[in-house]
Amino acid sequence: MVAVIALAVGVVLGLVFEPSVPLALQPYLPIAVVAALDAVFGGIRAKLDGIFDDKQFVVSFVSNVLVAALIVFLGDKLGVGGQLSTGVVVVLGVRIFGNVAGIRRRLFRA
Amino acid sequence: MTTAPARRRPSDFLTEMFRNPLDPGYAEAARRRAERGPEPAGRQVTGRFGRAVVLAATGFLLVVAYHQTVAAQPESSRVRAGLVTDVRDRQRDADRLQQQADQLRDEVARERDAALAAAGTDAGQLSRLELATGTSKVRGPGAVVRLADGPPQVDPVTGKSQPAKYGAVLDRDLQDVANELWHDGAEAIAVNGERLTATSTIRTAGSTILVDFRPISSPYQVSAIGPRDLDRRFTDSRTGQRFHAYVSAYGMQVSVDRRDDLTLPAAADPQLHYAQPVPGASPSPSGGSPVPSRSGGR
Repeated sequence: MVAVIALAVGVVLGLVFEPSVPLALQPYLPIAVVAALDAVFGGIRAKLDGIFDDKQFVVSFVSNVLVAALIVFLGDKLGVGGQLSTGVVVVLGVRIFGNVAGIRRRLFRA
Repeated sequence: MTTAPARRRPSDFLTEMFRNPLDPGYAEAARRRAERGPEPAGRQVTGRFGRAVVLAATGFLLVVAYHQTVAAQPESSRVRAGLVTDVRDRQRDADRLQQQADQLRDEVARERDAALAAAGTDAGQLSRLELATGTSKVRGPGAVVRLADGPPQVDPVTGKSQPAKYGAVLDRDLQDVANELWHDGAEAIAVNGERLTATSTIRTAGSTILVDFRPISSPYQVSAIGPRDLDRRFTDSRTGQRFHAYVSAYGMQVSVDRRDDLTLPAAADPQLHYAQPVPGASPSPSGGSPVPSRSGGR
């Protein structure tokens, strides 16, 4: 319940402030979103598995976002930013799908 | 994958990732908790708070990203739409002013004819001169030469199309067509509605062709009033044959049509600032023929 409220608060904050992202940070935004989604789905699955841990969740979120941003930053510096972004999205996407499959198995037994 | 304390060395990264996407950290934390018992209440509260902050941050990120991609898109198209309406407005204004100018010109011509008639002068001579200089509307039989750029070139590798390189109509082409039409006996020529006079220019600025400094674009339509067989004369001329070759070689689109009744607009009055009539010279054109020389209109 707290989780849903917190998520809603975040959405409302975003809607109210409508922050404009500086140009330099724009390439990192989609990557950060995917990384955050990965952390969130991982957390949901852990919750359903009964092994959710707050510290683990926070750390995985922060590290996911930071590492993803770092990889894209390095890629930009090396001239392969686009490819590395794709790589990050693929890896995180696979993890998200795997976690969603786990959630699905938990919820629907299918 | 939930019970086993997954700390095996992964045999293959991808296989491992597909098989066990959950962070092993959760399982480890659960095991630690099972060993040491539940955490103190203070830490639990901190944990709850951290979880809420992270989730709020996630929602915030989602909304920001959504705004960035979706809301930014209409902005660029909004700017573009604004520019388009601006251009349309200006075009409408220009058309309206052009109509007004035409009306006023007609009015001036009428008043002048009336004044000349009242003064007992021959108004016919003036209108004949106007006909020759291209400052009055004319109608008659003739031909229309239509030129259009060839098809755009499509890159076989990327599939991108770029404007025709060789099949594009150049200012030179329009000049050649106009010159050939003069040569074939045309008495009045207009390019896309811009009447050619003795001071007309056909030139290029960038990739745009300007006729009398007004930009025109493909398809180009060169209308000429002249003998009834003007179209045949043009087609049989060397210039006509050259353009025929352009059609097969470069894909330029060229067509020549006969017209029984063409109306060409008047050219704007030339603004002459420096040229003065030579005193004593005959004001009437030599031989009385209104046919301009071949180099006319350049």
